[in-house]
Amino acid sequence: MFFLDIGVSLPGYVLCLLKEWHAVASWTWDAQDETCGICRMAFDGCCPDCKLPGDDCPLIWGVCNHAFHLHCILKWVNSQTSQAHCPMCRREWQFKG
Amino acid sequence: MEESNSCFFNLEVLNSLTEDSLHEIIDSYNGFCKASQSLLAGSGDLSVGPDVVSHVHALCKHRLRSLVQDHFLRLLEETFERNGASRFWRHFDPYARVAGLSKNDDLDIDEDEIQSVLYNALEEVTLEKQYQEKCLLMVVHALQSYKDQMSEDKDDFEGERNYLTSKYQWIVSSVLMATLPRHFPVILHWYFKRKLEELSTIMDGEFCDDASKGKDAMDLDEKVKICNKVGEMDVDECYNDHRFSENSRLVKNIGKIVLDLRNLGFTSMAEDAYASAIFLLLKAKVYDVAGDDFRSSVLQSIKGWIQAVPLQFLHALLVYLGDFVSYESTSSGLKSPLAPQPSSCCPGIDTPSEGLVRWKLRLEYFAYETLQDLRIAKLFEIIVDYPESSPAIEDLKLCLEYTGQHSKLVESFISALRYRLLTAGASTNDILHQYVSTIKALRTIDPAGVFLEAVGEPIRDYLRGRRDTIKCIVTMLTDGSSGNSSSSGNPGDSLLEELNRDEEIQENAGVDDDFNTDDRQAWINASRWQPDPVEADPLKGSRNQRKVDILGMIVGIIGSKDQLVHEYRTMLAEKLLNKSDYDIDSEIRTLELLKIHFGESSLQKCEIMLNDLIGSKRTNSNIKATINQPSQTSIEVGDDGTSMDVISATIISSNFWPLIQDEPLKLPEPIDQLLSDYAKRFNEIKTPRKLQWKKSLGTIKLELQFQDREMQFTVAPVHASIIMKFQDQPSWTSKNLAAAIGIPADALSRRINFWISKGIIAESHGEDSSDHVYTIVENMVETSKNGGNTGGTQELLGGDEEEERSVASVENQLRKEMTVYEKFILGMLTNFGSMALDRIHNTLKARMVFKLVPPEKEVLHLYKSFYLVYEISLEIRLKSYVKNLW
Ligand SMILES: [Zn+2]
Ligand SMILES: [Zn+2]
Ligand SMILES: [Zn+2]
Repeated sequence: MFFLDIGVSLPGYVLCLLKEWHAVASWTWDAQDETCGICRMAFDGCCPDCKLPGDDCPLIWGVCNHAFHLHCILKWVNSQTSQAHCPMCRREWQFKG
Repeated sequence: MEESNSCFFNLEVLNSLTEDSLHEIIDSYNGFCKASQSLLAGSGDLSVGPDVVSHVHALCKHRLRSLVQDHFLRLLEETFERNGASRFWRHFDPYARVAGLSKNDDLDIDEDEIQSVLYNALEEVTLEKQYQEKCLLMVVHALQSYKDQMSEDKDDFEGERNYLTSKYQWIVSSVLMATLPRHFPVILHWYFKRKLEELSTIMDGEFCDDASKGKDAMDLDEKVKICNKVGEMDVDECYNDHRFSENSRLVKNIGKIVLDLRNLGFTSMAEDAYASAIFLLLKAKVYDVAGDDFRSSVLQSIKGWIQAVPLQFLHALLVYLGDFVSYESTSSGLKSPLAPQPSSCCPGIDTPSEGLVRWKLRLEYFAYETLQDLRIAKLFEIIVDYPESSPAIEDLKLCLEYTGQHSKLVESFISALRYRLLTAGASTNDILHQYVSTIKALRTIDPAGVFLEAVGEPIRDYLRGRRDTIKCIVTMLTDGSSGNSSSSGNPGDSLLEELNRDEEIQENAGVDDDFNTDDRQAWINASRWQPDPVEADPLKGSRNQRKVDILGMIVGIIGSKDQLVHEYRTMLAEKLLNKSDYDIDSEIRTLELLKIHFGESSLQKCEIMLNDLIGSKRTNSNIKATINQPSQTSIEVGDDGTSMDVISATIISSNFWPLIQDEPLKLPEPIDQLLSDYAKRFNEIKTPRKLQWKKSLGTIKLELQFQDREMQFTVAPVHASIIMKFQDQPSWTSKNLAAAIGIPADALSRRINFWISKGIIAESHGEDSSDHVYTIVENMVETSKNGGNTGGTQELLGGDEEEERSVASVENQLRKEMTVYEKFILGMLTNFGSMALDRIHNTLKARMVFKLVPPEKEVLHLYKSFYLVYEISLEIRLKSYVKNLW
């Protein structure tokens, strides 16, 4: 084209140099259910005894694949006189390795 | 009464009278009448004296003593009416026209003239009176000498004389009062006013001289202390001062007038006249000193002035009048309670100071009340000016303690609020700040906060009707960056911070019991006071509960702390989501303060939000440090060098955050890749937790590089996604672009306005009328093109009015230059036939005036506004040339 003859680069050319991309995400437990079958609180929240969700109030899975707040199922297991069963499926409760 | 009595008595003894004695009586009576007539008529001719005495004796012999007295007094009355009163009033006839004037009007009478008229009139009437008194005494002596002759019981001479002289005094007063013209009190008032003004000018000068004598380096406080000292000095002591002698002539003149007036029975009229003159003077002084400057205390200097000027004068006057104590006690029965009381042992010392103390109290009360009314009338302005105006508040506090007229303040201030503040024109922020200032200022006056309740009520009611009230309150409480929130604290302090600091100061000082419990009780009873509407803070001891609770009064506007906390959480979420540096120190501090006041449990969620930020920071550095290198190199994209280094993230526990609106968005490919790597790594570290990106949220810092310039921006993901699309392709139709970044077309046209407003992207109509074409703007001249476009520009102009204004002055200058550009460009186009726009621009830059042009932001605005005007001329012509080119 004509204007190239006079040695001018393409008009409208822009280069975006990213300095920082600060994104936002939410975390969630990778569980099938939304709420804990024992305390009925959301997994993404925390058990009634805790104040902070996440690392401080983790979930735990049984071999039956049911998940509970760690603190909830511990309380449950400790309250049982004999062998504890999963509160959801009544199968014998065993922590998933 | 006495006359008829004596007649009756005479009738009884008539029978015992012989012819001879009857003749003797008639002769003596006629002789007495004649002699006394000529005695009184004569101008000081006392030669008839012996005559009078012999006739009196003769009449007394016939037990006609009371006839002598009555007749002589009647004669005196007639003579005084004729020679005294009517002549006296005649002096003032020329001034009859002033009768209708009020006290404040000034009379256009020559000062010296009125003084001499008053002086002469009083002199004349006093002389006449003195002469008559002399004559009266002669008769008294005659009566007495008869008694002595007859060696009757040693009757009380003093008693006789006192009876007759006071009777005479009464006659004089009643004659004058009966004939008093209406203009006389006005003249008197005017006279005293002028004399006092004269006196005060002299004394004022001395007052000031004295206060600053040899102490030029002294600061104002010291001066006030001196005034204070003067004020506390014993009232008598301070008048032995040498200063006074200089004014003694003036005081003597005034004193003489007062004395003469008293002598005529005008005691209270004279006192009214000089009292009202003094009060007028004091009022003027208070107005003068108080003024509209609220930043210094004036009460002490007013008190000092009272001491130095009116009390000095009154002291001198009372001393002057006190010299004549004995005279006065006999001559006047009409004494005011304030007149000096005769004292046998030491007249002139004890008694005037008692009167003076009363004067001092009267004057100070008047001054307090006057200042109080002045300050109350200006209370609104004073509070706007708070805390700079706290000296005026302190003054007002002292005044109100003295007068007890707090209700005046409440009524007046409420009506000022309704009229000036609680109007549609006032911003919610302004109202809130005035509310807080009101609380701060009035708690000085009213530590129990009882009538603050009444004053705050209309403001609270009004604010409850505004929609943005909660938001403004939360901002004011928690955000120190808004500037004007705390006038007394550090500029960056939030109100909460300031309140907390105040509380600590008060707690450390341990003083808050400086108000009277009885007063408080009285107020509680007197007003519709109700207990604090907000729940009592459990952390506050009973000692603090009586204190004015600013926070409580603010929360009281909203009604409940829950609403306030809810609003705070929403605002906090917004703030946190826009952070990219995890710096939450001030938010932590604010939350701690909020917890103190609203309880920990209600702020649990906010605490988790902040905790998320802290956790995010830790997780972020963990992820970035451990993410596997091969993955990083593989995703490094082409020439823009985007790598994991630029990525960071805020990871939230969404259950505890307010509902966050996430909109669909297709991020630029490399970013999307990096984010999923990031999420994968998170999942590896935090199993079994995983991340869900909220793609439309975040903060992006980028630099746009053009051929001739670089620009820095901080934008939202959608803006970044839009502009990054223009790296591949300089021009996009709106449909294509919307599809490319995965947002609806209307959302795009709204979002892209950001770049249009920055002059980075230009909008033009495409072939399809529903489709727009967006083109990257390369250089300055072309930048201006989009100014001519109506679509986005109008919104821009509406939104950026302030910037428009800030450059308006340069506009005209550039407009002139643009005509030069225009000619130059047209010349180039004519000579070269056709030319690329950037070539034109570069040539212009090299040859012309671009170095004169202000920075780019202003330039953009200037060009936009310029082109709105020049559109037709330059723009159109340029366009046609450019079209040919392309
Ligand atoms: Zn649970
Ligand atoms: Zn727990
Ligand atoms: Zn199970």
